[in-house]
Amino acid sequence: MNELLTFLGEEDRYKKYELFFGPNHPGMNGNFSYIITVEGHTIKRVDPDPGQLHRGFEKLVEHRLWMQNISLIPRICVPEPDINELVYSRCIEKLMGVEIPDRAKYIRTIVLEMARISAFLLGFSAIGGSTGLYTASHWTIGDRDYLLDLFEWLTGARVYHMYIIPGGVRRDLPEGWIEKLEETVDYIEKRLSEYDRLIYNNPVIVQRLKGLAPITQEDAVKYGITGPNLRATGIKYDTRKAVPYAAYEYLDFDIPVQSDGDGLARAIQRREEFEISISLIRQAIKKMPKKGKVRLDMPNPLKFRVPKGEVYVKVESARGEHGYYIVSDGDTKPFRMAVRGGSYTAGLVYARKALVGMRIEDVALWMATMDVCAPDFDR
Amino acid sequence: MTQKEISEKIKENFPNAEIKIIDKKQFSVLVDKEQIIPVLAFLQNIDFKELAILTAVDWIDENQFEIVYNVFSYSHYQQILVKARIDRNNPKIQSVINLWDIAKTYERDVHEFFGIEFIGNDELKPFFLHNWLDLPPMRKDFDSLAYSNEVYGKFKEERDK
Amino acid sequence: MVLEMAHGTFACATFNRDFIRGVDMLITSRNDLRDNGWERILNYFRKKSMWMLHYCTGCGAMELPPTMTSRWDMERFGIGPMATPRQADLLLVTGYLSIKSLKRVIYTYEQMQDPKWLIAFGSCPLNGGIYYDSYTVINRLALYLPIDLSIEGCMPRPEAVINGFNTLMKGIEKGTAVGYKKYKENYEWYKKNQDAILNRTKPVFDSGVKS
Repeated sequence: MNELLTFLGEEDRYKKYELFFGPNHPGMNGNFSYIITVEGHTIKRVDPDPGQLHRGFEKLVEHRLWMQNISLIPRICVPEPDINELVYSRCIEKLMGVEIPDRAKYIRTIVLEMARISAFLLGFSAIGGSTGLYTASHWTIGDRDYLLDLFEWLTGARVYHMYIIPGGVRRDLPEGWIEKLEETVDYIEKRLSEYDRLIYNNPVIVQRLKGLAPITQEDAVKYGITGPNLRATGIKYDTRKAVPYAAYEYLDFDIPVQSDGDGLARAIQRREEFEISISLIRQAIKKMPKKGKVRLDMPNPLKFRVPKGEVYVKVESARGEHGYYIVSDGDTKPFRMAVRGGSYTAGLVYARKALVGMRIEDVALWMATMDVCAPDFDR
Repeated sequence: MTQKEISEKIKENFPNAEIKIIDKKQFSVLVDKEQIIPVLAFLQNIDFKELAILTAVDWIDENQFEIVYNVFSYSHYQQILVKARIDRNNPKIQSVINLWDIAKTYERDVHEFFGIEFIGNDELKPFFLHNWLDLPPMRKDFDSLAYSNEVYGKFKEERDK
Repeated sequence: MVLEMAHGTFACATFNRDFIRGVDMLITSRNDLRDNGWERILNYFRKKSMWMLHYCTGCGAMELPPTMTSRWDMERFGIGPMATPRQADLLLVTGYLSIKSLKRVIYTYEQMQDPKWLIAFGSCPLNGGIYYDSYTVINRLALYLPIDLSIEGCMPRPEAVINGFNTLMKGIEKGTAVGYKKYKENYEWYKKNQDAILNRTKPVFDSGVKS
């Protein structure tokens, strides 16, 4: 026995090893894997191993009608599916050159901001889950259900709504829905101060997040980091402001920025954008036209043809820039659709640089603060 | 710079480029495949620093692949789709990893799904797919339904029995 | 409160009855002790504490956090998440399975110790669902692994998930949920099917030559 131990010690065989971080790992969010080479406790090399969620959406849409795809594409991004419907619908509207009714724009804004809030709540719970603070998970996911109930009332489904369609939205708001939404938003705003006490002012979490893999501004631009992670480094850019869609151009909001770019800055950035979303919902409710059409008259879905052309449309999702590049050849089916997932760059590319030198236990936390979501880059 | 100024500047430096306006904040530039690196370097110099997506389109009727480099600027708020066409029978193009590190992964992605060689990129290993031996799946002549029926079993017919 | 107490006594009563019946069998013969009776006693306890493996394969995973946390709280049925496959009883295939994750699911299932149960969520593991023509998503999970229970819906709501768990508990008690035994008996058949798609050596179509 002693001989063996000496032999192993001399050879140093167990100092350096390869670790499959995921897919079957409690710290991994989603069915995704990093193959990590570890020396002692420190990460030396990272190889992302995606594809466990690959379904080949880009191929599947080529075999379905333009309207059929509406039921397929929300599945690209599970925590926040509405952005997919919006991007796809806006691609078609741009190619056809139509403008949707004003009321539909405001309803879209409300739905998108609700989806963003529910995605942020999931993000908070991921931070709680990867630091062992399960109270946070219980609270945030419980509160998220109030929003899902509203979605269910509005669209008939909890997660995949298929509510935003080319030409507007599927149906008008039901009676009493707006009042209930206002109530829910008030409730969630009240809960924010409790989240602050639980998560953001919690010394344990602050200590874990402070200085966690800081991103510099140059790196963020070079590696294509977008969304809250980009704003956490101090770059004041938001697609909602720069390339406005839905009703964002009529609403008044300011984009918060942080300066450090580390884990804490990224978490606080999301916390501040949460308030922006709440105020956007309130403004949209106030400014929304009380009556009017919510949907343009579109042609027969079975013979629906979109004019020839190409377009790239992007939106600001909770994870960053989510965009589709669609090419149409004037047929009843899309010719080509390429998806740029919100966390493609963070999860597949930047991870190889950022995770090196980090300790193993911080990987899950890094994924939670960067909001890496496997289905949107696996497609 | 406005869209007009940028497009005029491109036209000045690259007279062969075909410019097509898509909307107020977006236009496409079609160039020869030899010119793709000079054009992208030029755009990077005038602050088009973000490579949003690198992808390909399979124009099977014209026997060509179209590589699309989608760049964006945080100061001009303009999206430019830079495109180059290559022969479908000999799909090879110079890699842009010297301009963008992130292109390494995008090119690996496109290589796997279209079978396009990027000269200079040494990371073109399998990425998303498991043990793939057939035609690259995103090519237009690859039949996904036939493949699924052949490999994973035809379910519809069995159900009818 | 009263209801809860009443429920408690009821559970206690069933426990006693079952336990006594189990002891009866124990006394009757040695064969019963080995094959039937002992198993029934074990099954009774197994169904009351199930550890669900913390591994989610597809979209259906999105409805598991609400199922686990405060609103639906599956722990009141004795189901809790478990990090390692070796100590888990339940494997949830939450939706479609791409071929790459099928490989990992098979590894995971084989790592788990008997008795183990596999629950399939939604229509995708049954017939491919909305991805029936996808080149990476398998169409029938039953060819590669034994399914003990399927829950319908895309994706199944938390109520459906909990109802599914309860159905599985009944199945365990009755002794009908025996997928792991099936897997052992027909191991060659399952292995043949798995090998056919996982370890392919030549392309499916003749035209398929990788450039």
